Amino acid sequence: MRTWLGAAALLALLGAAPTPAARYPTAFATDLGVTKLIAETDADAAISGAQIFVAAGLDREPKNGNGVAALVAECITRTPVAGAALRDAVAASGGTLTYTVDGRSVHYYLEARSEHLDALVAMFAQGLAAPDFSAPTIALARQSLAARETAFETNPLSVGIQMFRRSYYATSAGQPALGSTASLALLSSSDVAAFYRANYKRGAVFSSVVGKLTPGLDEALKQVARGLPDGPVIAVAERARAIPASAPRIVAHRDVSAPWIVVGFAAPAPNSRDFGAMLVLESLLSDAFERSSATTIGFLERSVGAFYLYDSTPASLVVYVNGSQVDPALALRELLIVSHSLSTRPLGAEPLRHFKAAAEGQFLSDSVNLSDRAYLLGAFSSQGLGDDSINAALGSLERTTGGDVQRVAKNYLQRYIVALVLPRQQ
Amino acid sequence: MNLSVRLRASVLGAFLVAAALPARAATADLPDLGPNVTVGRLPVGGTVIVSPAQGAPVAAVELWYRAPSTGFGPKPEPGIARLAAQMVAASKPIVGDPLGKTVSDVGGRLGITVYGDSVAISAVVPAIQARSIVKALTRAYFAPVATEDGFREAAREVEQESQISSFDPETVVRDAVFSELFSAGPQHFPTLGAPKDIAQISLDDTKAFATRAFRSQNATLVVSGAVDPGVASAAAGGRPDGDSSPEAPSEPEIASDLEPVTKNFVESVGGYGWIGPGIADTREATAMDFIADYLFRSDDGYVTRQVLQKYPQALLLGQFITLHDPGVMFVVYSGRDDTPALRTLVDDGFARVQQAMDPAAFSSALEAFKYHLLSDLQTPTEMADNFGWYNVEGAPDYAPGANGDGGIYFKTADSLTPDFVAAVAKKYFAKAPAVVTLRPEPAPAQKAKSQ
Repeated sequence: MRTWLGAAALLALLGAAPTPAARYPTAFATDLGVTKLIAETDADAAISGAQIFVAAGLDREPKNGNGVAALVAECITRTPVAGAALRDAVAASGGTLTYTVDGRSVHYYLEARSEHLDALVAMFAQGLAAPDFSAPTIALARQSLAARETAFETNPLSVGIQMFRRSYYATSAGQPALGSTASLALLSSSDVAAFYRANYKRGAVFSSVVGKLTPGLDEALKQVARGLPDGPVIAVAERARAIPASAPRIVAHRDVSAPWIVVGFAAPAPNSRDFGAMLVLESLLSDAFERSSATTIGFLERSVGAFYLYDSTPASLVVYVNGSQVDPALALRELLIVSHSLSTRPLGAEPLRHFKAAAEGQFLSDSVNLSDRAYLLGAFSSQGLGDDSINAALGSLERTTGGDVQRVAKNYLQRYIVALVLPRQQ
Repeated sequence: MNLSVRLRASVLGAFLVAAALPARAATADLPDLGPNVTVGRLPVGGTVIVSPAQGAPVAAVELWYRAPSTGFGPKPEPGIARLAAQMVAASKPIVGDPLGKTVSDVGGRLGITVYGDSVAISAVVPAIQARSIVKALTRAYFAPVATEDGFREAAREVEQESQISSFDPETVVRDAVFSELFSAGPQHFPTLGAPKDIAQISLDDTKAFATRAFRSQNATLVVSGAVDPGVASAAAGGRPDGDSSPEAPSEPEIASDLEPVTKNFVESVGGYGWIGPGIADTREATAMDFIADYLFRSDDGYVTRQVLQKYPQALLLGQFITLHDPGVMFVVYSGRDDTPALRTLVDDGFARVQQAMDPAAFSSALEAFKYHLLSDLQTPTEMADNFGWYNVEGAPDYAPGANGDGGIYFKTADSLTPDFVAAVAKKYFAKAPAVVTLRPEPAPAQKAKSQ
């Protein structure tokens, strides 16, 4: 109960002080002719990382083709290059290759000692240009994705977020990133090849690099783009369903010990003037309900948390309640009361300062390693935040006022979808 | 807050030295950790390491102490180090806020990690707040304040943490392996202590522990990230209380007879471990790190890949824990009904490294190992952990972060050969390991039947 009294005390403070500026090294864009590169450089970096974005994400998956974006990516990393599967060849050369499928893209991440990164990007270019879509490779890729999907299904938070996304998005962007065992089984070699042919175009690729830029790296990134055919990149509609005022509830049962609740809201895109205010709300809804602790509470111990999902367009905000830590019905009720109250008056100066600092700290903590920085640089830039996109996002946060927070709470937090992940009945 | 606590805090505060000396460049008595790393002594004793780096505008501010997790007294009190560190963070000083609130107010995160013979208090904060947090952290932990409220809150939080960690297979197996390998000393006991152990620790014992352990003279202050080299001048001065020496490492007692251990747990888990070289034997210790990386690196270790292919849902973790003396090679695996089969794959991996590797494969694995080392040092927290750990364990210039890939660690890695690695593996892995098996408690009906 003390937690909820804490939330009430927070609301009583509703009534702005400037915070000092935190800034990443200034990022810049380079036109490499065949492709674009955005970089944040450090001449002394021992390790560098490159994210290679291809506009071949979930939003381009055909109807009944869920999982094909991931299956193509998985096959690419398994394509033989230099005598081994690409991912293994990169690892044996002292680097890593991973990929992530999100709503708008699939992004491949390569990391290595700075002086070796160009060679590994060139190796990747070979695999990307001539992927192995043979039946054995697809079978192995499918098996790997299905295993990861099974693990995903055991995590109640992931399941809840996915339930909300599926309900919220009117396009394929809301489908599971890795597909499902059933959908993957239906995908044939020709489906995989067709998706690749339709989406892996020169104009669909751009890169972001954090670390040391070398002439060899520029050349290797050009090679990545040159290896793909020229041709039009078809625009896709980015649409979400309007969330009804009736607050729809979706229920699923899983092998979990306690119920989890995920409440999903629409949210502004990163290039919106409301972006900073939504970061503040994410921080506020994450922390306002949490019990006090002298040290920062780890994810497993948290009772409530929030994630601002700006990787898909339109963006969304999800707030989760861990039923093993707190009464979920009470938590949900409190959450909705706070969401409503935030829309009725501007946040006071002291809570605004506190939650802006917390939001900035959260943002910075989530964007420290090379992979995350390179991802954010590319993702924000592609969503209209300019070349120095991470700093632009921080600027948006700094400019946020109490009135902004009220407006954004009013515009976005009054309609929601509730996803309930409940234990299976014994 | 009761009167005695107030007086204690006040007395400690009065002895604080007013201003800390800025860290100075490395000199003959200080290790050389690289051209960009400043090493110095704190005004009344203790070490300060500042490692500025470009990149994210984030700083890690850490305090490391040599302190046994079970306390300094003859009777072990498992969990007292964790409780004491938490109590200091939770206690409200006479002036200002508790440390935890100070860190969260600037958007930072505060964490405490306890090892068998050391304690680390770490804050990750926006870099522009680094000076203020250096000041707050050193104020709190160079003149620890203990209030009854802070103690109560800390006890509740540490008990909860202990409860949660009792469901973590890695923690349970590691604690059990260490308990088998060491017959006495702090490494014999779980670092967090069980909730019932924590409940028995008194405020007076905890305060006494904090006063002895949390001294500037016993501290290593590490600041890493986008910070000014002079950031450490914000450190509080500490208590010039006459005892200017840091604590000595505990002297572990290595068990002579190892018996397999079986415990009840929520799922089937296995693990085992061997005593390995101490930190002073840098070549053997580096060889053990290489072996752990080669076999168990996530995603592409030799054993990891086989496990991922055959048992993709399985848990597999293996590492060499570099300690003052001795170190420990440790592995844990879990795959429900497949756990025995996982053991076979792990056994095969350890058998494989006892044979000299093919030179080309070795060269490739070594290159990958060196990349992994650098990759694991890319954030301010990783770099600060690295300097803090190796300084506390007594070999600061052997830290992989010291002098980058031109430092002692990387030179030692370059000196490894297939034959040497195989010889080190044989030397340590030919002996019987400490084996731990966790298995689900039989259902009541099965229990009755077996009775």
